[in-house]
Amino acid sequence: MALSYKKIEPLIISGKNIFSKWFGYFGLGIGVLLLLVSLQMFINIQQLLKENSPRKSGYDFISISKTITNENMGQDNRFTNADLINLKKQPGIDGAAPLISNQFRVKATAGDIVPFNTDLFLESIDNDFIDTLPPGFTWQPGQVMVPIILSSDFLEIYNVFAPAQGLPQLSAKTISSVNIILECSGPLGMQNFKGNIIALSDRINSLLVPKTFMNWSNLRFSGDTAVRASRVYIKTKDANDPKLISYLDQQNYHLNKDKVKFSRIKSILQNIVSALGVFGILVIMLALMLFSFYLQLMIAKSKDNLRLLLTLGYSPKWLAKSVAKTWLPVYLFIIIIALIITEAFHLWFLQFSFVSNANLSYFLHWSVWLTAILLLGLTVFINSRLVKKELNRIM
Amino acid sequence: MQIQLRNVVPDFIELEKRKNSNVWAQNIIIHKGEHLHIVAPSGSGKTSLIHFLYGLRTDYDGTIFYDDTDIKKLSTESFSSFRQHKISIIFQDLQLFDDLTAKENIEIKRILDPFHEPGVIEEMAKKLGIGTKLNQLVKTCSYGEKQRIAIIRSLMQPFDFLLLDEPYSHLDEVNRKRAMNLIYEECEKRNAAMVFVDLKPLDFLKGEKIIYL
Repeated sequence: MALSYKKIEPLIISGKNIFSKWFGYFGLGIGVLLLLVSLQMFINIQQLLKENSPRKSGYDFISISKTITNENMGQDNRFTNADLINLKKQPGIDGAAPLISNQFRVKATAGDIVPFNTDLFLESIDNDFIDTLPPGFTWQPGQVMVPIILSSDFLEIYNVFAPAQGLPQLSAKTISSVNIILECSGPLGMQNFKGNIIALSDRINSLLVPKTFMNWSNLRFSGDTAVRASRVYIKTKDANDPKLISYLDQQNYHLNKDKVKFSRIKSILQNIVSALGVFGILVIMLALMLFSFYLQLMIAKSKDNLRLLLTLGYSPKWLAKSVAKTWLPVYLFIIIIALIITEAFHLWFLQFSFVSNANLSYFLHWSVWLTAILLLGLTVFINSRLVKKELNRIM
Repeated sequence: MQIQLRNVVPDFIELEKRKNSNVWAQNIIIHKGEHLHIVAPSGSGKTSLIHFLYGLRTDYDGTIFYDDTDIKKLSTESFSSFRQHKISIIFQDLQLFDDLTAKENIEIKRILDPFHEPGVIEEMAKKLGIGTKLNQLVKTCSYGEKQRIAIIRSLMQPFDFLLLDEPYSHLDEVNRKRAMNLIYEECEKRNAAMVFVDLKPLDFLKGEKIIYL
């Protein structure tokens, strides 16, 4: 027959000190809730902003240019090969690619659909740095059709001024049907090409053509093959790395902060929820401390009874285990309630979040469940250790 | 099981008392089934001896063995096993839970390793004249009633040794005899040894080995 703890429980647990007991429970509940909610929100923000950030394969791509000041105005402020080599050597920079611009004149007309006529600039960059790279973004000498990747910001600007100019507004889909005639001319000759916008880029503010076309046409029309770029894109794991920012500032490089806004927003939001999580951990620690004071007080008050039970032959191990187990249902209840409230917060977040995202699950992330189980284990472990220690003290 | 005392001398005992003692600094073996009556005046260390044997105190030189085990080396956990199954005690100061009833006090010991069914508690209480006191809080009982509760509690478990520290000090002669008979009866059932300490030899004890401390 298993020994029943019920018969000796009144000798150990008195009904006194209920204030510190309930305060401990309340604190533990708040702390667990804060920790679980902040963990779930951290994961939600991580998943939401992963979808919307300009990151590609875990990297940030930032555009830099040399800062134009009154002192260097009028000088050649383009990047040299040496600048590029130095950039690539920097820790925190995983790659750098110049935006090579045309060294000849380009005039664009859009035919009958969009009757406009303008001087244009073209640029090219390594394909690795392009966020939306369709398979057709290639060019070979002899090819009349030149694929173009247009900055989505440019399309937006065009749609703003188009009505005032009597031009039709274009959607992202219809833009691909506009045929642009590119008139390329330079000291060494001129030639017409057909430009076709095949993709829009959120990352690069430019009109991108394949690198093969840019190299070929620079040589063909101006005879210039030197790489001189006003802008360079750098590839980095963390656009908010203070060391990187400091290096760029030292070199007088201007950083396109707008492009890293998602990283910054994410970083700020994650810092907030992390702080909330740390606060949750602190509250849990305080609650456990408060509860341990209650336990110590309770054991001190029932010291004589416990000593007599040990004298009569009760096993100290069994006593410690039984006393510690008394609070297991309460802890379990607190953690289940915290999980339910966390789920409610999560559903509320999904319903009212500023970005709707179908990829977020309605259920709590597994790491939240794991944390809840670990917390339960931790509280039981701490209790049992404490009770054992106190029992050893009175023996 | 047997208990052996080898040159046991309490730290606090005076040299004079030690020299005249038949227990201190002697070699004594107590076998199962043996009845040992240790007699000594107040202040000679009777209660200390019982506490040494039960493992509650270790302020002595020499060694006490449970079989081959030096009890100073036993952990509290191991002691709890001996106290549940092998050795029982009636304390001089009784050591009862004042806020529990007489029956609850006895039951707390019985459930550890039940030698008797719960009904036996009533039978024994009736025999000792406290049948009506079982549901009364211990703190409201007289010292004599408490002594009888402590006696019944000590008989609820299996044991090879029963240690009795002046267990009848507050009982009249009729109740003393009743209690003594019950204890003899229970020791016989278990073929257990009895170590009984008191101020003077009791006239109704028979067949005991009397030792002067």
